[in-house]
Amino acid sequence: MGPIEAAGAQMANEPPAAGRPESNAPPDRVAERRKSYKRLFWRFVRLTVLCSLLPLLVVGWAINLHYTRFARERMLHFFQSQVEDHRRVIERFLGEQTAKLKLIARTHDLPRLTAPGALARVFELFNQEEKTLTDLGVIGDDGFHRAYVGPYDLWSRNYSREHWFRRVMEHGVYVSDMFMGFRREPHFIIAVTHSDGERVWILRATIHTEAFRALVENVRIGRTGTVYLLNAEGLYQTSPAGRAPIMEKAPYPVGEPHAGIRLRTLEELPGPEGKPLARQIACEAWLKTPRWLLIVQQEYDEAFADVNHANRWTLVFLLASAATIVLATVGITRHMIVLIRRRDDEADRLNERLLQAGKLAAIGELSAGVAHEINNPLAILLTERQLLLDCAARHPLPEGEFREQFEESMSQIDIQVQRCKRITQNLLRFARRTESRLEPLDVNAFIREVVELMEREAKTSGIRFTTALDPAIPPVVSDPSQLQQVLLNLITNAIDAHDGKPYGAIRIATRADAASRRFTLKVADTGAGIRPEHLARVFDPFFTTKAVGKGTGLGLAITFGIVQRLGGSIHVESEPGKGTEFTIELPWEPPEELRQSLTAESRPA
Amino acid sequence: MSPTHVLLVDDEEIFTRNIAKLLAHRGYRVTAVSSGDAAIRALEEQPFDVLVLDLKMPGLDGIATFREMLKLGLSVETIILTGHGSIDTALEAVKLGAHDYLTKPCEIEELVAKIESARGKGRGKRP
Repeated sequence: MGPIEAAGAQMANEPPAAGRPESNAPPDRVAERRKSYKRLFWRFVRLTVLCSLLPLLVVGWAINLHYTRFARERMLHFFQSQVEDHRRVIERFLGEQTAKLKLIARTHDLPRLTAPGALARVFELFNQEEKTLTDLGVIGDDGFHRAYVGPYDLWSRNYSREHWFRRVMEHGVYVSDMFMGFRREPHFIIAVTHSDGERVWILRATIHTEAFRALVENVRIGRTGTVYLLNAEGLYQTSPAGRAPIMEKAPYPVGEPHAGIRLRTLEELPGPEGKPLARQIACEAWLKTPRWLLIVQQEYDEAFADVNHANRWTLVFLLASAATIVLATVGITRHMIVLIRRRDDEADRLNERLLQAGKLAAIGELSAGVAHEINNPLAILLTERQLLLDCAARHPLPEGEFREQFEESMSQIDIQVQRCKRITQNLLRFARRTESRLEPLDVNAFIREVVELMEREAKTSGIRFTTALDPAIPPVVSDPSQLQQVLLNLITNAIDAHDGKPYGAIRIATRADAASRRFTLKVADTGAGIRPEHLARVFDPFFTTKAVGKGTGLGLAITFGIVQRLGGSIHVESEPGKGTEFTIELPWEPPEELRQSLTAESRPA
Repeated sequence: MSPTHVLLVDDEEIFTRNIAKLLAHRGYRVTAVSSGDAAIRALEEQPFDVLVLDLKMPGLDGIATFREMLKLGLSVETIILTGHGSIDTALEAVKLGAHDYLTKPCEIEELVAKIESARGKGRGKRP
């Protein structure tokens, strides 16, 4: 009963009820914090997005550029080799026909060739494998046919004024451009001359236009690819996919003949039905004889469809990656900010506790000094009183007012000195590092014991006690005497909180938390509650709302110190007029530093 | 029987004077000194029945005085006077051989009771 009475007496001096939320930063600081978190969030997001998106885009762009160039070069190379091959094919065809004509001219003399049926036989041989020639004629130096095989009636025609006639007579061999001639349809001829010694004659063949067209166009390039020939004046020598008739002028300049292969892009070419063609890519090579320009042309978009396709997918991939990065960044950053905020809150709480602990330590030191200093004058006061009493005993005072007053004053001096003594003792107890002793403890049984004692004390006040103790709490290791003081302080406060109420209830509950290996102890009352402005100060030493002389304001400060020392935390919630609830959280095992400090303390003893 | 001779050591002179008077009223012979050194000197000069020793003093404090006494073989029944805050030190003195301790401020009757108990013990030891 001894320590309980002492604690009870001490607790009677406590504020009626008290409280402090775990974290009670002022609202403007909270708003400032929130703003700074937002700023931090955006800074993180910006930085991360910048640091990851920028390289991604640069690398993506560079790879794409490289690939595009590579693919384009391959494409153009393919184009060039197509043109190169095809030029060779056409040149070989024309060269072959020319060579054949030359051979015939040299191996047949004029009489033999003009003999009935002879030219027809040659013509037949020419066209034996495939239709190559439209007609074949032998023309004398006067410009008239000596012999002719073909579908046209040209016997009466004189060619001596024709352009080609003059050219072949000059050069011996001539391959003409497309021309209308006497037959009034586009065709071209190959002519060779031969001299019998006195007379010069010409063997002239008209290349079958359709067959030549088939030969020229015998390259399939995609859906939109076309192959055609232009002469040096830019007239179509074959019809480009039926877009324009033979001998029409091409809508772009052919330029000067050159040896190699040239690439160019053709924009806005007129297409069928007046609609312009899509952008075309053209690859050109000049034939040697005749000076024709071979053009392989394809729609730009088709030629580079693969590249465009790849580009599109690259873009899709880049966008998807960017979106993923942005989403991931936002998600991760949000999570991080939540963690940081939690840490900050935790740090705030720790700081507050540290502040509280610092306050307690400072006050403790001060208290010890003050108590000591006051004790000496008190001791003297007491001896002075005793001396006076001794005197009075030896020389009794006469009955009367003075004696009455003397006796009353003597007893009042004693009462007040005792009061001072109690105060200094409380101060010293607060300041003193109480000796701790750790031992296994059944928390629930311990609480039941204490509650039973307090119930007896509070019997007259009409306060009911209820307990809800969690049987899951294992035996813990703690300091029973300190824990008892905590419990007594809280229960005494709870009883005092009902001051002026004829009834009330105090509820004491425990709950085990196996995950954190801690237990909580709640002491709730139905008393007066704590005003919000007091809530933050209830754990401060010397804070009391009780009448002067009734409290040192140390009970909750001591409680706070003990709970902290035992490795726990305490907080309070309160609603004025409804009641207050203190929640203490303590570990099953005391913190290592407490064990160490205890062993350090016990060693010199 | 000669009156019990008490040596009172406290730096608070008014306190020692008052206690001395109070003890004298109760039939004790009291010598009061105000420092540890003075106490040792007094003990060396003459024997005392009981020593009342305050712990908190400037210079040689109570516990140091007590140790010094033990070292010098000056054996006397000792009552330690202490503030509430230095009970640990008082207990240490008791462990070292002091008779008892008393917390200041105290009633004179308490002190008298302790002196009597110390005196009785001292007599038992040194008849």
